Amino acid sequence: MKGFTGPIYSYLAAVLVSMVLVSLLLALFRIPIFETYTLLITGSLGSMTKLGDTLMVSVPLIIASASLVITFKAGLWNIGVEGQIIAGAVAASFIARELQMPTQILLPAMIGAGFLGGAFWGLLVGLLKIRGGVNEIFGGLGLDFVATGLVVYLVIGPWSRKGIASTSGTEPFHENAWFPTVEGFRLSPLAVSVSLLVVLMVIFVFNRTQFGLKLRSIGLNPNSSYRFGIPTSRYILTALVLGGAVAGLAGVTQVASIHHRLVPSISGGYGFLGILVVLLAGYRPFLVIPIAFFFSMIAIGSIQWQLRLGLHSSLGGVFQGTLVLSVVLISAMRLLRQRREKHVKTEE
Amino acid sequence: MSLKLLNIRKSFGTILANDDISVEIGQGEIHGLLGENGAGKSTLVNIISGSLTSDSGTISLDGKYLDMSSPSDAIEAGIGILHQEPLVFLPFSIVDNFLAGLPKSRDFDRKLLQDDVRKISQEYGFDLDPNALASNLTVGERQQLEIARLLWMGARVLILDEPTTAISETQRENLFTTIKLLAANGMSVIFVSHKLDEIQSICDRVTVLRKGSLIDTPTLPCPTSELVNLMFGEYTQDIPQNQSVIGENLLVLDGICVKDANSVIEEVHCKFSEGEIIGLAGLEGAGQRILLRGIAGLTKCYRGRIFFKEKEITNQSYKWYMENGFHYLPADREGEGLIQGLTITEHFALAGNQSQTIDWNKAAQLAEDKLREYSIRGTVTSKPEDLSGGNQQRLLLALMPDNLSVLSMEHPTRGLDIESAEWIWKELLERSKNGTTIIFSSSDIDELINFSDRILVCFSGTIIGNLLSKETTPYEIGSLIGGIHS
Amino acid sequence: MRFKLLPCVLVLLFTLGACSSSGDIDSDSFKLGLILVGPQNDHGWSQAHFEGASYAVNKTGGELITIDKVNPADSPNVTVPQIVDDMISQGANLIVATSDDMKDGVLEAAAAHPDTPMIWASGDTAWSDGEDYRSDLKSLGNVMGKMEYGKMIAGCAAALQSDTGNISYLGPLINAETRRLVSSTYLGAKYCWETVKGKSVSDLKFKVTWIGFWFNIPGVTQDPTVVVNDFIASGSDVIISGIDTTEAIVVAGQAADSGKAVWAIPYDYEGACSEAAAVCLGVPYFNWGPSYHKIAKTVIDGNFKASFEWIGPDWDDMNNHDSSAIGFMKGDGLTSDNSKSLDEFIEKLAKGDLNLWKGPLNYQDGSAFLPDGKEASDKDIWYLSMLLEGIEGASTTE
Repeated sequence: MKGFTGPIYSYLAAVLVSMVLVSLLLALFRIPIFETYTLLITGSLGSMTKLGDTLMVSVPLIIASASLVITFKAGLWNIGVEGQIIAGAVAASFIARELQMPTQILLPAMIGAGFLGGAFWGLLVGLLKIRGGVNEIFGGLGLDFVATGLVVYLVIGPWSRKGIASTSGTEPFHENAWFPTVEGFRLSPLAVSVSLLVVLMVIFVFNRTQFGLKLRSIGLNPNSSYRFGIPTSRYILTALVLGGAVAGLAGVTQVASIHHRLVPSISGGYGFLGILVVLLAGYRPFLVIPIAFFFSMIAIGSIQWQLRLGLHSSLGGVFQGTLVLSVVLISAMRLLRQRREKHVKTEE
Repeated sequence: MSLKLLNIRKSFGTILANDDISVEIGQGEIHGLLGENGAGKSTLVNIISGSLTSDSGTISLDGKYLDMSSPSDAIEAGIGILHQEPLVFLPFSIVDNFLAGLPKSRDFDRKLLQDDVRKISQEYGFDLDPNALASNLTVGERQQLEIARLLWMGARVLILDEPTTAISETQRENLFTTIKLLAANGMSVIFVSHKLDEIQSICDRVTVLRKGSLIDTPTLPCPTSELVNLMFGEYTQDIPQNQSVIGENLLVLDGICVKDANSVIEEVHCKFSEGEIIGLAGLEGAGQRILLRGIAGLTKCYRGRIFFKEKEITNQSYKWYMENGFHYLPADREGEGLIQGLTITEHFALAGNQSQTIDWNKAAQLAEDKLREYSIRGTVTSKPEDLSGGNQQRLLLALMPDNLSVLSMEHPTRGLDIESAEWIWKELLERSKNGTTIIFSSSDIDELINFSDRILVCFSGTIIGNLLSKETTPYEIGSLIGGIHS
Repeated sequence: MRFKLLPCVLVLLFTLGACSSSGDIDSDSFKLGLILVGPQNDHGWSQAHFEGASYAVNKTGGELITIDKVNPADSPNVTVPQIVDDMISQGANLIVATSDDMKDGVLEAAAAHPDTPMIWASGDTAWSDGEDYRSDLKSLGNVMGKMEYGKMIAGCAAALQSDTGNISYLGPLINAETRRLVSSTYLGAKYCWETVKGKSVSDLKFKVTWIGFWFNIPGVTQDPTVVVNDFIASGSDVIISGIDTTEAIVVAGQAADSGKAVWAIPYDYEGACSEAAAVCLGVPYFNWGPSYHKIAKTVIDGNFKASFEWIGPDWDDMNNHDSSAIGFMKGDGLTSDNSKSLDEFIEKLAKGDLNLWKGPLNYQDGSAFLPDGKEASDKDIWYLSMLLEGIEGASTTE
């Protein structure tokens, strides 16, 4: 699986195809089609508040996707991002809970801790792979479970609310540990900036540095890369650590700008959703931003479907799924056509 | 009944893999197909079994012309092939394996089929329980399963593609018994091999291919030396030999043993001088590749010692080897040499090892210059998969650092057109003149004799010959390659 | 080109959004926004709220808008303040958040929308005597039914029907609310075991296991199905549910089908027995309709005042949908003798002849909770800090 590499216009085609499919579904249940789509747009972009909420959902998704770009480009099926987000969130929560500091110091400290926490979790995946020969898929998945277990333990144990044992979450942090928001909105410019900076960093790494070029070459062909003198194991480890560190930042934004406390499902499934984003983006980091934003529009806009039309809450997921399938379908059709053309050419 | 091939021709790009091949195989005949790697055997076999379509020429069975575009067409027509690795669905039972390849046109009845399997097994002395799982069978038994299946599907011509590579001695004897029985029952058998003794012991006639052409089809038995001559050609031309100046002892292999998952070479004692060119002869898998990797530091030897400029370097890292002018070029230029998906500029950026951030203008300029210098047909944004084999090889040479001590290279000109091949050797001889020791493997005996100072012959993981190319003959080399000391 | 439409749409929306303003509420334009923690058809806590809110809107006229599954596991993108914003922009006049878990979100939303009436069901922030009183949030009220009675009746029914005297309680998470409900259940069970059946309290085993949340979240909470199976395997013949969903009665029904003598008492929702009617001894349930109707009316009439309401049953008929905040619906599994005994028990509670929250009562660790003869105050019960003596299971976080 090399991700979707089609030209930009084929995305629009995919969106159209999935809209047609979803429309058929809606028509089947006699749900007003036009209104459904209008609500998706108005519900996600229709006011500053909604735009802000959509942006805030896109922040962790963009960061998680950026993390995945790093490892996917290096040929690693890193599905441990969920765990790395959680590790970052736990580390940031530790700082937020334990340190009494002014917000100007506390927030950078949380960001740093989340970075290190995620990096540590990525390092574990890498060591399991390189020293233990455990495929990153299994190592990552295993560590996802370990991370969830750790949060549940903390939330219900040492970090539980006074007199309460609930997996609901910890006590909210002191407001010093909250990312500042635009007055009157939930939009945090700091969180958005972090996500954009991360993407810029990934773009820089892969476009401008030897390190990024070497990671790509390992992802494309580890044998040749080794022959070229690239120490593949060390680079794979570094990619997993860096990917983990970036994912950890998503954990920081989750605790510091969304939940303001640690909850067991802090990763929000963004590590998995990010895989879809990155595949659709064909590992191209700049495409991560619009695709993640579109996914966030569906996530936020589809709330309106339930509110206004009384539709089932899972319809947003159905739409996302159809979208992914449409992209896969269109890319398969394109490949098929190319192959046929090639075939015709060789026949001649 | 007979299978008749007439004027079969097939080329891949500039390579002529089968050049006007005509041969007739009679009913009940066991017909050998002999030739070294790259002689055109596989191409011919693939054409007969429907996997490839020939550019021109005809195939007829019993006077009926066949028009085949897939292996299922071939088996419909009565031509079955037993591959080196039998194509068996391991998780399936034997009966289900029969059903899996069933043409759409045929009905089936499980019960009848089980009886058929038993009947065929009995006839040929196979030990096949129709309901056993294929995953429990040995490779030899899988071959039996596959043969039984082809018989059941109505094969009248059976192609065996190097069937003895992966089976034991006993299994081989059983297989030969089966083959003789099949022939006695009227089956035409094509037996593909490069093992001379096998061909001699089982075949009635043998077609010998060399470089895509049919050399001769002698009746067997005949002297093995004649077969060797047919396979490798007689040394006829008087091509000017390599005139390299041989300097002092540069590299010393002191009984090294190297292995990986697929191959092994043991107890190599050798000294290489500065500027010397050494050719490695041998059949595919005889140990040349792993030796070349060991010399370049890519695969560590598990025994023995390596000295370079009189210092032991056995346990140095690959990085050390690279920094000290060792370089390895593989035969698999796309899989192991270049990186598909990276542009030529990116290759130069990667090989150049410049500072942490890349100056793309500089890299593109370097790529541009090298493309011109090495006459590579491509642009700086081309990717290896866009290039022909010859241009890929030129690119690999262009990517090498300027000052190399030891170049360890597999098949420098395999698959290349003549122009590229000559160009590559010009470049390599130039390097050798400047002091680079070149160790290369080749299956082309002319190439070995023309360009090497010395030839080492590998056989089954050991070096069995160390010949001065000035004093040896293709016949001597060919015999050693086949494991025969003359 | 394709982006040209967007600004137009945006402008249009802003103007539309600006139109909604407060004023006198026409009952037809009344909108009640309901935020549920679980699915609205969970046959438990969330469905009870949904039906209560539907009841209220049916009576007042207007519209009910609902968002369900609002919890970080099911809806990671959705927070309570976000939904409250959405509902208000859609014209909601009253917003009801229905989970203890929504505390932080609802406080944030109430602070952001000081003029919109809001209810946090099961909370205590409007209780001026309470420990978490928020005098600043003038539009945030609380409602809760006195489920303690329902649970006492459930406990009594369990003790009456149990042969082994081994009763298990499928607990959600540990907090003051769940501690008082488990303790109430135990008090009912203990009373009926001793007084009605005349057995020794030392033969009564009453155990609670907490799964960690109000419903199953795979990988996060303990799996309630597994917990209930463990209960049955360890010899319990009555399983009492304290969680929002129906695993207890479903598993008990399966065990009964395979020949075990097991009964269950579900929770929250009047119709919960239908999951396995034959093993159901009854269900203590919430009837939010009357309270939500009352509050909705004050909002429509313009005289909403945030208050803390902790409402007991209508003792004349606790299953009266129009008057009782909680009820107990007996199930098919209860024998007729036990049913009669249970009626007598309910009668005593109704008349006030019997107060089980009365000393002497000890905490689980043996320390004194209430001295002999002293009746517990509302605060004593609401903020119960430890399970009562005789209950097996964790009281706090250890």
